[in-house]
Amino acid sequence: MIRLVNVNKKFGRNHVLRDLNLEIEDGKTTVIIGRSGGGKSVLLKHIIGLVKPDSGQVIVDGVDIATLDEEDLNEVRKKFGMLFQGGALFDSMTVGENVAFPLREHAKKNEHEIEDIVAERLLAVGLPGLEHLMPSELSGGMKKRAGLARAIALHPEIVLFDEPTTGLDPVMAEAINQLIIETQERFNLTCVATSHDMHSIFTIGHKVAMIYDGRIIEYGTPGEMKASANPVLQQFISGSLEGPIHIV
Amino acid sequence: MVSISTQAKVGLFVLAALILLAYMSFRVGQYGFGLKNGYLISAEFENATGLERDASVRIAGVEVGRVENITLTDGKARVSMRILPSVKLADDVKVMVRAYGILGDKFIEIIPGTKGRPTLEEGGEITRVEKQIDIDQLVRNLTNIADDVLAVTASLRKVLGGEEGAANLEGILTNTRELTANLNRVVKENDEDLKTMMTHLAQASKDLEKTFIALRQISEEINRGEGTMGQLVKKREIYDNLNETLASLREITDKINAGKGTIGRLINDEKTVDALDTSLASLDKSMEGLNKYLLKTEEFRTFLSYRGEYLFDSQNSKGYFEVKIRPKEDKFYIVGLVADPRGKRSISERTVDGVTSHIEEWDKNKLLFNAEIGKRFRNLVLRGGLLESTGGIGLDYFALNDNLRLSFEAFDFDPDRRPHLKVFADYELLKHVSMTAGYDNFISDEGNESPFVGVSIFFEDDDFKYLIGNTPIPK
Amino acid sequence: MKRALLFFDNLGSSVMRTVEEAGSVLLMFIDVLKWMVKPPLKLDLIIKQMEFVGVKSLFVVVLTGTFTGMVMALQGYYGFRMFNAESMVGSTVALGITRELGPVLTAIMVTARAGSAMAAELGTMRVTEQIDAYYVMSANPVKYLIVPRIVAAVLMLPLLTIVADFVGILGGYFVGVPILHINAGAFMKNIVTIVSLDDIYNGLIKSAFFGLILSVAGCYKGFTMTGGAEGVGKATTEAVVLASVSILVCDYFLTAIMF
Repeated sequence: MIRLVNVNKKFGRNHVLRDLNLEIEDGKTTVIIGRSGGGKSVLLKHIIGLVKPDSGQVIVDGVDIATLDEEDLNEVRKKFGMLFQGGALFDSMTVGENVAFPLREHAKKNEHEIEDIVAERLLAVGLPGLEHLMPSELSGGMKKRAGLARAIALHPEIVLFDEPTTGLDPVMAEAINQLIIETQERFNLTCVATSHDMHSIFTIGHKVAMIYDGRIIEYGTPGEMKASANPVLQQFISGSLEGPIHIV
Repeated sequence: MVSISTQAKVGLFVLAALILLAYMSFRVGQYGFGLKNGYLISAEFENATGLERDASVRIAGVEVGRVENITLTDGKARVSMRILPSVKLADDVKVMVRAYGILGDKFIEIIPGTKGRPTLEEGGEITRVEKQIDIDQLVRNLTNIADDVLAVTASLRKVLGGEEGAANLEGILTNTRELTANLNRVVKENDEDLKTMMTHLAQASKDLEKTFIALRQISEEINRGEGTMGQLVKKREIYDNLNETLASLREITDKINAGKGTIGRLINDEKTVDALDTSLASLDKSMEGLNKYLLKTEEFRTFLSYRGEYLFDSQNSKGYFEVKIRPKEDKFYIVGLVADPRGKRSISERTVDGVTSHIEEWDKNKLLFNAEIGKRFRNLVLRGGLLESTGGIGLDYFALNDNLRLSFEAFDFDPDRRPHLKVFADYELLKHVSMTAGYDNFISDEGNESPFVGVSIFFEDDDFKYLIGNTPIPK
Repeated sequence: MKRALLFFDNLGSSVMRTVEEAGSVLLMFIDVLKWMVKPPLKLDLIIKQMEFVGVKSLFVVVLTGTFTGMVMALQGYYGFRMFNAESMVGSTVALGITRELGPVLTAIMVTARAGSAMAAELGTMRVTEQIDAYYVMSANPVKYLIVPRIVAAVLMLPLLTIVADFVGILGGYFVGVPILHINAGAFMKNIVTIVSLDDIYNGLIKSAFFGLILSVAGCYKGFTMTGGAEGVGKATTEAVVLASVSILVCDYFLTAIMF
């Protein structure tokens, strides 16, 4: 279980998270929504310890990871997988090597076994037999799939998705959505995704949390969120220019 | 296309670079390997300016070692050198610091010693250190030489320029050839005399040696306290007397210091001090004058000359070899040998049956000697001394920038004959050659009067060295 | 008054930034040292970087080395001809190349080629979150990305310098002997007598330091860059400037210490 308690984070004068509290349920997909640059990615990075809070706690399975040193943090991170926005595949490695990277690092397996696992994961994300391509030869959607294959290579308990459908065409976006749902169900994962793609949110999310002005202003199931009377949330869902959210 | 793996490329590159490094290291540090087990020797130099560590040590230009270290010991530079083990150095080798060319680096040159001498071992020291040639000094000397050469060549050009000069020279050369032939003959004829002379000299030096031995004996005696001198030096009494004398002397000086007595008052009086100062100042001035005088010794010059004279009437030639030493511009000494075909006249007194008769003998093989002292008054030179082994005087008049000399000589003042008088003119044709013509013994009552011509060759001692290889001969 | 205060404020903050940056470079370097000795060493990554820094810079280093030697010979010739000491050209070229120009020019060329690439690569990886990906996968990017680059640069710079030294002298020879008609024997003899092993070795030690400087500068600027694609370009420029200036400054001090 992941819990964020009174998390504060500033970047210079920009107060991104203000006393943020959030609880993420195990075995469910929680989608964090909010404006671009509103702190979604920062929140996600807090959960995996890439960014440390200025104050507050980030508790993963009862451990406050904000206080851990690099070595202990690495142990905690082995429970995680993360799919970055652009896939974040290593440019200098082939797709196969990318997927094999966490296995080679942390799983005590021989090359043959690794090969098998890589092939299986690539099959699972719909990229069978593309081990030998370089990341530069892949399209944006394929990169995300390959990134997902790498993220789930070590059978993590928690997978984080940073804007999984952003920048993709609707068909590819839907394919990724389905892949996330499939993967979540298959491995009974706890998933945390950030998004501002309404369709994606309501397709993959079991729970939705709205971040606004550094705080979670609404939290609930997609149905509850749609029914919410919060004007900010309503404006965000409807994509209207009228409302409390101002474009500066 | 064959693809080479990254590992292979990197490996090849590393290998190639290391081979290049090894090659360069080997070329640059050629002696690096052998020298490691070389032996160390050292030498002390007065001055090791420009010598650096790792400078080369060479014998006959071949590198045999490197300078290992340079340290200062007792104001001298102690240079230790590592020498290749295959190179053995005798213990009497000499070392000096030299440079590659004028601007080049310094290195150490070892001049090999005697074969068969014991060789230098590890830690050995070379004691025979030659002085380093100072470049400044060298350049200074070279400049002086160049100036001289320039002067010589300039005057030569003056004389040789034009056909007349060439013709003159040809004539001179012909004469010179004859002259040398004569000279040759003279030397041959006098060979025996020279030998005798040498024998005499040898004898004399032997005598000298004996004298030295005797002198040493005397000094040893003195040392041992034998003889009068010895006693003087060694005897206690005398020594005590001496001590007493010294003591009373000190008393006197003490008194003087204290201003007692006449001398004391004199010395301690201010006026006297002033007077002394003045006199010291004047002394200073006279010292300056003396200095100036001493500086004049730089005018010291030495000339060598040979003059051949051909006497028409007696169809004889006469040879003069002279050394003229001129310590000052206006003073000189001449020492010379004269080869006179008439020979040396010796007179012996013989008493036979109560009748004393003078017997005059001419020894044709004897050399005659000149030893004169002279002084110059403007253009006139007065000289006198031994002329052809007899007493005599001479008078020279110089004209035309000293190129022409008119001379008169009178010697051999024998009451039985008229004195030997000689007049001649000497004209300096070239810088080192002059022509002579004159009348010899012109008031002779023995029929020896004769006109003569001659050539003389003369050099200044300095000229001699570099003139020989440099005189151009026009065709 | 306010203006004056503003001036001092700016001055103070820029000094602080410089000090901060120096401190973080040092911290990164300490981190690098730590990861360098922590097994397992990523040998394959090091070799990959050695190929990039060393083998792929070979051509440009040979080119600059050769032409530098050639132009030195040409320039030296005009100077030495005045003293009739043309054969000194060889030793001048050799001494200049081995002691100074070989190490420095090689370092500058590798900075331009590889140091800038390091900053750009790492900057791009930062922008595309590849560096975060390393952290997420419990792998330290310093070990994977920075250590191999620095090790490779420190190892390859001396080797490239050897090559530069060699081709530089060779270039000098080709201009000096066949073109300017300097006596070949005297040319080589002067090199051999005047250049010592220390000259070469000290040059190589210098170049190892230069390798360290250029790789640390490149890695630091790339690794810590911010500001997206534009930031990558800025980081690259800054890395090249920082490395070049540091190399020249360090060159003075290293030379002062060693020769």
